[in-house]
Amino acid sequence: MSTDETKVRPLHPEGAPRNPGFAGITGEFDLTEAQIRGTEYVGRRPVDGGHASVAGTLPYQIADRNPDAPLFEGPYAERLEKILTRYPDRQAALLPALHMAQEIRGYLSPQSMDEVAARLELPPAYVRGVATFYTMYNLQPLGKYLIQVCTNISCNLCGADAVLDAFLEHTGNDMGEVSSDGRFTVIEAECLGACGFPTVVQINERFFENVGTQDVPSILEMLK
Amino acid sequence: MAEEATPTELITCTIDGMVLQVPKGTRIIDAAAQLGIDILHYCYHAALSAPAQCRMCLVEVEKAPKLMPACVTTVMDGNVIHTQSEKSLKSREGTLEFYLVNHPLDCPVCDQSGECKLQDYVAVEGRAMGRLAEPKRIIGRDDFGGDVLYEGDRCIMCTRCVRFMREVAQDERLGVVARGHRMAIDTFFEEGMEGNIWADNVVDICPVGALVSKDFLHKARSWDLDRTPSICPNCTQGCNVTLQVRDDEVMRLKPRPNEEVNSYWMCDYGRLNYSWINRGGRIEAPLVREGERLVPTSWSDALVRLSELAKGAAGGVSAVVSPFMSNEDLGAARRVIAALGGGEGVFRVERGEEIVLPGFPQLALREDRAANVHGAELLGFTRAGDDKGKGGLQNAAVHGGVVFVMGDELADAPADFGTGASLFIYVGHVLSPAARNAHFVLPATTFAEMEGSFTNVHHRVQRFWPALHVPAMARPAWQILGVLLAGVRGVDAPATPADAFSLLGELRAEYGELRFSDLGAQGRPLPRLGALAETMGD
Repeated sequence: MSTDETKVRPLHPEGAPRNPGFAGITGEFDLTEAQIRGTEYVGRRPVDGGHASVAGTLPYQIADRNPDAPLFEGPYAERLEKILTRYPDRQAALLPALHMAQEIRGYLSPQSMDEVAARLELPPAYVRGVATFYTMYNLQPLGKYLIQVCTNISCNLCGADAVLDAFLEHTGNDMGEVSSDGRFTVIEAECLGACGFPTVVQINERFFENVGTQDVPSILEMLK
Repeated sequence: MAEEATPTELITCTIDGMVLQVPKGTRIIDAAAQLGIDILHYCYHAALSAPAQCRMCLVEVEKAPKLMPACVTTVMDGNVIHTQSEKSLKSREGTLEFYLVNHPLDCPVCDQSGECKLQDYVAVEGRAMGRLAEPKRIIGRDDFGGDVLYEGDRCIMCTRCVRFMREVAQDERLGVVARGHRMAIDTFFEEGMEGNIWADNVVDICPVGALVSKDFLHKARSWDLDRTPSICPNCTQGCNVTLQVRDDEVMRLKPRPNEEVNSYWMCDYGRLNYSWINRGGRIEAPLVREGERLVPTSWSDALVRLSELAKGAAGGVSAVVSPFMSNEDLGAARRVIAALGGGEGVFRVERGEEIVLPGFPQLALREDRAANVHGAELLGFTRAGDDKGKGGLQNAAVHGGVVFVMGDELADAPADFGTGASLFIYVGHVLSPAARNAHFVLPATTFAEMEGSFTNVHHRVQRFWPALHVPAMARPAWQILGVLLAGVRGVDAPATPADAFSLLGELRAEYGELRFSDLGAQGRPLPRLGALAETMGD
């Protein structure tokens, strides 16, 4: 990790290891980031959704995404059944069903929307309307790592635009595009809810806080 | 809207200083309409649900903290409502300014121009000058298939079309895609609206020029069109329509509201099947056979000669009529047949699949694809031929007595049709090869060129009015045949369509119980028969 001090973070103790997004930099304890957060960038979760009460609320990204995988088969069929028990009608289960499709395939293709519509017996045009309304549904294939840079007000005041540009520059990407090696997609995000630690970057399911432009290469280095 | 089992409680409200009593549960917009106050609105449509999302109908209700949407707020007892107060005017002005943020000012090339709600409202209540300096967003156009073209830039997102497809057509092909200023109406990718015969109704209900008809695209300006109330001639449903005419040519058909028949809707088959009304090559003068030739002559000459011949007619009549002719025409034909010795009369009609509008099941594209099949049947004509409206002429073709053809074009008739007849009378529109065999060719008007009535599938008698000029010497068939009958029998000829209609009572008593002038623009069911047809579910 870089040990440079910058104007952006004058409160950092001299010589402390700079690890963006990790409270250990305050020097209060000796654990490493990996020991606390693990090294995965996606959470682990039961494919069948676990208990019915949480089956519809699981995070939506997994490491292995296959755009051709079947949608509602095996444990996923079981999970959808659990989800359906939690809602008054099929229409209400549309959001978690789309999340599931995205978890399996990585993004929502027209084909996926059509399959979800057929499974829930909803009009495909309606499903498309819902899928395009919410920004957390990806309508294009993504890189292995989805880098979401918050550019809302707190982060913006603390230089989020420069961080975003740095990510784009270091991945050699255009916004929203998949990098040529298939690893990165960089997008701008609205408030990620960590305004006390600007700039916030969410990579897949992990938060990086207090990110400055100088941290970008090392973060990308960590993402193998 | 709501019909309650309990006796309806009347409540009193004041709208713009006028006191009004309405049933409890009436919406402000409907109450105001009763006073002749038109509360501006986009998303509200009487036949659809009201999402209250266009924010145009906000009115001031005294003691309410905020402006209320008139399309969903029900009137409360003692409400004092101001539609023209400074607060509501200011609100509408602001709303309109927001609509114009992204609405292109392409009115000079927009088909909706002249009948556009945005244009109208901005002219009345909008700001004189726009303040927007930013560029407008571009969404572009999208061909929805069928007859529908989507001009996304003009769309104001009232979602009437989405709600029509969901609630009335019940084939939810349209949805709102994306959000914010990128919002657009779209189908499921390339699915389109092809194959839904009710799709063009979304063009009618679109308050702006976002959904336009490809058939009508850049064909005429709204203010150049003459609008005549009429009846769609293309099936037995008898949808109430307006014929919209420019330069003596029907440019388009638009549905005319009639809760008993078609609500606000009509099908694409009827709507787009109008080019035959504009057809040229019409017979323009009475023609009388002299040897091998048909010679044009005056009406008096033709009818005097015909009635002389008709007096001596023998061998009975074999008649072919068209179910596109009016009740009055068919009644006159029936009387002529009787006067010439009696005989059988047939009509031929194209048939197809019946397609019901799920959200308004009284309305369907009916199997019989001509307006007056039921009128013809009531007046004693029988169906002949196949489902393509062909064949069934075998009796008339070789009949040795009087052959009488009215309206039917005889397109598929044998070349020697009627050559064996002692007298062959052709009353019609175009001179097909078989019609050239006639001894007398009498030019008649189509429904679009005359006043008259049709009888629909539920035995409802509905009037239509002339929209086009009569080609040269053509006359309504009831008038021609009335004069002919006067010559043959010495009775008075009917002078007006109302006279001709009143004569129908002699053929069918039910018609006698209706008066032509009582039919109005919405029609009346034939007594007894109208109810009967309903219960039979026909």
